[in-house]
Amino acid sequence: MKRAKPEPTPDNPENAAATRDAEEKRWRRDMLDPALAEQGERQEEFRTQQMHWPVKDLYTPKDLEEIGFDYMEDLGFPGEYPYTRGTNPAGYRQDLWKMLQVTGFGTANDSAERWSKMLEQGLNGFIIEYDLPTTNGYDSDHPLAEGEVARAGTAIDTLADMEQALDLPWDKLQHLNSVCNAPQPVNLAMILAALEKRGVEPASFTLQMSNAILIEYTCVGRYIYPPRHGLRIATDCIEYVIRNHPNWIPISVVSAQLYAARATPVQELAFGFSIAMEYLDATLARGFDVDEVAPYWSFITGLEMDFFEAIAKLRAYRKIWARLMKERYGAKKAESLRLRLMSSPGTTGLTLQQPLNNIARLGIQTLACALGGGAYAITTPLHDEAHALPSEEAVRVGIAVQNIVAHETGVADTVDPLAGSYLVESMTRRMEDEVFAEIAKVDALGGALAAIESGYFQKELARSQRARYSEIEDGTRKQVGVNHLVQPGEKRSIEMFKLGEEAERLQVKQLARVRADRDEDLVTKTLERVREAASGDENLVPPILEAVKAYATQGEICDVMRDVFGVYHPDSLTAGV
Amino acid sequence: MAERKIRVLLAKLGLDSHTVGVTVIAGALRDAGMEVIYTGLRQTPDMVVQAAIQEDADVIGISSLSGAQMQHIPKVLARLREESIDDKLVVVGGVIPDEDAEALQIEGVDKVFTMGARTGDIAVYIREWWEQQGR
Repeated sequence: MKRAKPEPTPDNPENAAATRDAEEKRWRRDMLDPALAEQGERQEEFRTQQMHWPVKDLYTPKDLEEIGFDYMEDLGFPGEYPYTRGTNPAGYRQDLWKMLQVTGFGTANDSAERWSKMLEQGLNGFIIEYDLPTTNGYDSDHPLAEGEVARAGTAIDTLADMEQALDLPWDKLQHLNSVCNAPQPVNLAMILAALEKRGVEPASFTLQMSNAILIEYTCVGRYIYPPRHGLRIATDCIEYVIRNHPNWIPISVVSAQLYAARATPVQELAFGFSIAMEYLDATLARGFDVDEVAPYWSFITGLEMDFFEAIAKLRAYRKIWARLMKERYGAKKAESLRLRLMSSPGTTGLTLQQPLNNIARLGIQTLACALGGGAYAITTPLHDEAHALPSEEAVRVGIAVQNIVAHETGVADTVDPLAGSYLVESMTRRMEDEVFAEIAKVDALGGALAAIESGYFQKELARSQRARYSEIEDGTRKQVGVNHLVQPGEKRSIEMFKLGEEAERLQVKQLARVRADRDEDLVTKTLERVREAASGDENLVPPILEAVKAYATQGEICDVMRDVFGVYHPDSLTAGV
Repeated sequence: MAERKIRVLLAKLGLDSHTVGVTVIAGALRDAGMEVIYTGLRQTPDMVVQAAIQEDADVIGISSLSGAQMQHIPKVLARLREESIDDKLVVVGGVIPDEDAEALQIEGVDKVFTMGARTGDIAVYIREWWEQQGR
């Protein structure tokens, strides 16, 4: 982008800047230096928490002049290119962000009850988290599933479980987010079939699938097949949803997972966008035009405790996406350029020690989400999440935190309130420049898939993880309760949500019952169709939908694909460990 | 002959895929001069014990963050006893409630490090054990 030096105008002659600079010099000499001579600064140097960028003592208009800051080019108006000030022209003055909460425990029945309660309490939607056997494509009676069934989320083995899980007050639900990346086509098929059984019109709400398999290879680890096949499966889901359920969101780039794996904001955005572009290229190869599909791309980010870095990240996030879509893909429609972003306070900033302190952290991070602007939905994790699975009290506090920020602080009453801040604009620009530089590095490696296959992302993240821990261990970075204000002999005491082995037993029993009642010939026949589709390049969703309706289990369907695609087991180097 | 490096096998059992902790520990133990071997994800107790034998590990470090520690770790200990290689040091790290940590130590885990443990302390603990063995 060309950045012209601002022209002097009649009211703002060049000598105003000269006067200001002379005044600053005088202020340093007469005011600041004598004060510091009496008592020095409390630290030798000040740096941001994640990027370690030097933080100056004072930011002035000069900082903006030095980077050639241009209001129209850098910010523009809300709802217009480059969307730095937000994607909605009215900010939060029409609607507040959607308030979501991650949840999902126990058997499908337990979850439906809990979710219904949350919808009654005023949430608009929620994220379904599945248990580890489900997200790894194993049935509840698989040997590796033992002890994990219904523990970290809901267990779904067959359509029967999904039918129960979706027993909800549908009139209150606007937004449902389903997180089940590796077996995504099976999960999608289960939801479609369950809606049909319940007589719910798919267009009556928005289903958002994270479908984020490339992030799983990068840092989360819930992958099944080699990365290339993972990308193909994800693209099948994207294509199917765009062609059949155009109001749903078939892809979310969950850069929050990168953040949770201790990515710096620059890594998070650069790796996240590279991954987004890998899916986009794969989808465009299915014969779409960029403006037909780009509007579907959505992102989920997480925030750290460094307040201004977090706000700069959110603002740069929107601007970079708009620039990539326009400059690199030639997208023209506003919907393609406008970033769809959901943000959430991150669990990484939460501490196991002194868990009630986390409520303060959540409040500050939620405030940063709101100030960063334009996030259409905010999720609040729960203050005891660093410890274990969240308790019901924590769910209530999480909802309260969002409402406090929304209704008691006034931050949602004007659009992008921090725009023009010398500090915030300097940081936003630096974020943008460094992210573009890192994207160029990934491009040089051949893009996100190649970067995953060679272990580049994994190794870079491992470096950040180690750096972060040593900062906390050597005290360079202070964390209250961890290395600062530590209570000697502190006993952790917080209510933990626990699930008995009963849930696992019941789930395994239900699975056996479904297996006993189904038409085995139909199961075999439909699974054979899945195998054919997997072996060729036919879209996998329709044949999987048939298998799901025949009550084939998720594990059985995934096993057919394991046969065809193979199973991914990266070596230590590629895993980054 | 150069002194033999302490060989540490780091393992992830079952479906737990949280790897930040194991990555950080691997780096810290390597920095402390140890040889680190990582099993990768989704290991069964038997796979871990086989890897410990093949790699001639002195120490087995199990990382557990999903909450399924009581399902898998006692089985690893039992398999070690069956193979008569329960002289290896077994340490566990992760999100482990106090009552589980106590139970695991009764079953034969030498030490449990919960979140917030310093990586340097883990390396020192392993090194001191090694020296006590007179190796």
